[in-house]
Amino acid sequence: MATCYALMGWSLPVIESMQKTGKPFVVVSFPDFEAYAKENDIPFVSYQFDEWSDTSNSIDLHEKLKPFNADVAVPLFEETVEWAGALNSIYRDDPRVLNRAFLFRNKAMMKRKALIGGLRVGLFEEVHNRDEVKQFMQRLNQANLQLDGEEDSWVHIKPFSAAGTVGHRLLRSMKDIDEKVEDTDFPCLAESHLSGKEFSCEGFVHKGKLRWLNITEYVRLGYSNFIPEGNVLHTKRKLIWDKVQQMIDIFGIEFGMVHPEWFLTDDDVLSFGETACRIPGGHILELAGKAYGFDALAAFVMSHDPWKTEEEFDAMFPDKDYRPGEFYGNVMIYPRKERIEKLEIPDELQEEPYFLDHNLIPPMTTQKIDSREGFGNHFGTVNFKGDDPDRMTELLLHYENVDFYV
Amino acid sequence: MTITLDRAQENFEIGFDEFVSATSLTRADKASKLASQIDMISQSPEGIKHLFERCIALEEAGIFENTPWTNPEKQAPPLVKGTLLAGHPTSSFEILSELRILAYAKGQAQSENFSQKDASNFLEEVLVYNLEFAFDELTEQSRSKLSDRERKKVINHFSFLIDSADLNGIKEKLAEEIKMVCAQRPIVTTSVRQLIELVHHKLELNESDDVDQTLAYYVNAIYFPGKIAAQHADMVAYGNVLESLSDEEFRTEVKEIADYLHQTGLTNPHLAVALVHCLKHKPTLIPDLLQLSDQGTSEWEKYQKYITKLCLTVFGPLNFRGIYGLKRMLERNLFSRRAVRAGLTNLRLIHVNDKVATRVIKSVSHSDESVDAIQYLLGAMLSILGQPIGIGQGNNATCQSARGISMWAQHSPAKLINMVTTVATANNFIMRFESQTLESNKIGKGLIDQLDHKLDAVSVVLVPHLDKIYNEMMRRAAGRGEDGHKWVNPALYGHWIPMGFASAYATLINAVQDFDGFVRLFYAGFHPEFNGGREMVYPNPIGIFITSSRGDMLGFHAISLLRVAKVKETGEIRAYFLNPNNEGRQDWGQGIKPSVFGNGERHGESSLPMHQFTARVYAFHFNPLEAKPRMELIPNNTISEVRQLAEKSWGKSYTWSDIKKQW
Repeated sequence: MATCYALMGWSLPVIESMQKTGKPFVVVSFPDFEAYAKENDIPFVSYQFDEWSDTSNSIDLHEKLKPFNADVAVPLFEETVEWAGALNSIYRDDPRVLNRAFLFRNKAMMKRKALIGGLRVGLFEEVHNRDEVKQFMQRLNQANLQLDGEEDSWVHIKPFSAAGTVGHRLLRSMKDIDEKVEDTDFPCLAESHLSGKEFSCEGFVHKGKLRWLNITEYVRLGYSNFIPEGNVLHTKRKLIWDKVQQMIDIFGIEFGMVHPEWFLTDDDVLSFGETACRIPGGHILELAGKAYGFDALAAFVMSHDPWKTEEEFDAMFPDKDYRPGEFYGNVMIYPRKERIEKLEIPDELQEEPYFLDHNLIPPMTTQKIDSREGFGNHFGTVNFKGDDPDRMTELLLHYENVDFYV
Repeated sequence: MTITLDRAQENFEIGFDEFVSATSLTRADKASKLASQIDMISQSPEGIKHLFERCIALEEAGIFENTPWTNPEKQAPPLVKGTLLAGHPTSSFEILSELRILAYAKGQAQSENFSQKDASNFLEEVLVYNLEFAFDELTEQSRSKLSDRERKKVINHFSFLIDSADLNGIKEKLAEEIKMVCAQRPIVTTSVRQLIELVHHKLELNESDDVDQTLAYYVNAIYFPGKIAAQHADMVAYGNVLESLSDEEFRTEVKEIADYLHQTGLTNPHLAVALVHCLKHKPTLIPDLLQLSDQGTSEWEKYQKYITKLCLTVFGPLNFRGIYGLKRMLERNLFSRRAVRAGLTNLRLIHVNDKVATRVIKSVSHSDESVDAIQYLLGAMLSILGQPIGIGQGNNATCQSARGISMWAQHSPAKLINMVTTVATANNFIMRFESQTLESNKIGKGLIDQLDHKLDAVSVVLVPHLDKIYNEMMRRAAGRGEDGHKWVNPALYGHWIPMGFASAYATLINAVQDFDGFVRLFYAGFHPEFNGGREMVYPNPIGIFITSSRGDMLGFHAISLLRVAKVKETGEIRAYFLNPNNEGRQDWGQGIKPSVFGNGERHGESSLPMHQFTARVYAFHFNPLEAKPRMELIPNNTISEVRQLAEKSWGKSYTWSDIKKQW
């Protein structure tokens, strides 16, 4: 069993979950949080994650964590994945743990590794300027045997190392490349559009084996999802389980959680999008915890413990084959107008039996909405609960287009 | 719907459990989600009831921690309305907080700092301030601010409060409120009429109860002002019945109507029908109908022909508001002034400018197409002339203009009528300032951008122009090293204003200078024991410091000092003044609470003991040839009493200097 978990990054819900487990932990985060931590008796090491130098590095951090007897590092955010990898390399005396962390942080490298291992991925390439994106689209068009007048093949570009949808652009035409792409986007990864239904998984790994799998149904990327997966995806559970295990094998992942995104076509072909190993966005672990009735955040942290036995590991999770009867979904609310004055809960929500709660905040007086970067900041989340996944899908799609801010 | 409701309550309980089991780290987010469920269940009366049952548990669980609602004793009834209009989550917390206070009031929970009595008082005040919600009769303001959901929520909440709170306490406050508003004889009676309407429609009144009798009296004053009037809500029918009455029956009816008018100042359509009937058929009963004083009666007898013609032009069942003004005008003998009669005749003949007509119509609640703007304007003109200190500034920062209109109505009624005639015709106005003419339409903005039209028709005609001219005068008087009012007041209001001007604040040294001398000068000018027993002849435009109920400086305000006099019963010397703010009853801290009734006030006057009043004055006009020699007669302890009050309130915001000043 781990002596002390080093939580890499500041997350109040995770800290609360860990406090409830009674297991020792220490939070490593930016100096800004130190005062709050002290005030609330939270074991804390202040560290400037965005600085890497002779005096700010994993050896130094390792020293600073010694008084806490930390022996497992847990990455909570995309930006702390390398730090956790570096520390775990030291704790486990295995340099490859750090290399594996780099894999998570470079999407091109990740795809290459997946391709070598035999996962189906889209065509991809590192690009450095607009011309290279155009050439990439051109080659795709050729490969797709485009005729004159036909639409261009869709291309996605995304930064190598940003979380989720940040910096992700979909380019539907040569014209889009001129209009939507910024100079600051480069270098980045360009890839062909994968068709099929997109979803994510949260696979919890112990000694290289997938021990528990959550499937998250994406209703609309960046807006809404629900757990457990709907009826169609549920019938593919075996297929998905095997693919996740294959990915774990390819990447050589031993402990912790993987959060891969997949595309599933009607003929059951699963394509690999990308994967992460930190807490997923969209409040996914919160939903999973509610749907399955366990503390998913604590389980996430403790799944990184290499000294747990298989039994101890499994005990943190619900039964592998358990499917909850109630679905928990959420939709993130973004103001849909340029100028908003107030929060106004729509009448129809009152009559909606699936409605659970929301944490929408009122705007500042007449707030102007900045253009959205990635998916921007949402103003809060509306939560639903109900027993029919199809109804849930309808609802989430619907509320994405309802005005909560007028 | 019931499924949704049960489920909402179930979700609320789940959210509550999650909130309770959260540590302080995630409390805020859980509280926000729980608030969303509070918002949901408060959409139904059952939900409010459920919330009430759980509110103490919620408070104990810490739902109010780190919010403005933490301490029940710090909740302020006057702020409740704004909070409820702010929407979710603010309104949800407010409702929960009030339900909690209801539980305190019922003795279901206790707090050291907040007794059961405190809680009851709080609720009563909240209800009185927010009666519109309690009876689902929203003002335009609330109506426009609340979404349907928010409205439902607030109404559910208030009907629960009304059901649960002890209504008798509220009745008493209601009666008190109505009585106090009527005692001031405001010209604009819309709000008090709404209150009475609520009482009439929503409360059961018991004949044997004193408070109920008072309430019933006001209800009758508007709806049932006579035995026969009570049987006829239709004015045509009522008119017909009046014609068929015997002399004796008609006289009885007239006397009843007259009594309500005299006691409350409230008018009604029945009164107008009776007035028209009397004017046409029973002119000798006019003094009875208006319950005129002897002066009023002789005035009527002398100018019967003129007044009859005027009244038949103005009044009818759809335009009756000015009838009380007519009564008071007769009693002031204003018709005896040729200039007034000529002015009113002129006003009657004008063609009202279209824009002015729009403003006039907008100011009349429930206006009717069959009544012309000029009829409304004439009605308001009679009101102003009859009740010069019944004027209010509405929700406008135009106290200067309001006190001007009031002063002219008191001392130069014909000038005022003439001004109204000019502005109503031209929608423009010209005044003189230091040998230069200022034309309203040619100068920039006034203090207000948008006029709140909850004003009398005369004010909506004049104020936009007076405000601009006043502002322009102040602009031109700026930078002279002294308060511009020194020059502007005499120019704006006229030659009634004495030339001397004293200000407690010295611009050049940016301090309160020689406050003792300032007070001496004020007492020497106005206090009857020190000014040679002289009465004030004209109102004095006075600048006062407005302070909060805690005595903190809030800003400046323009009022008119009307007279300083001894209260017969107590021997106390009090200052009587016009506060153009719609409500004379205020709380300025340090126990300084202007009263409007019971201390010798005439209708519309506010009053304070002389030393308390002086402690809020910052500027006044005086006669330099008369006041100065008497300054040294004022005893030192009188001065220091005033000074202490000043220093410990608005004075905290200033530097004080005791360098003597040449007044």
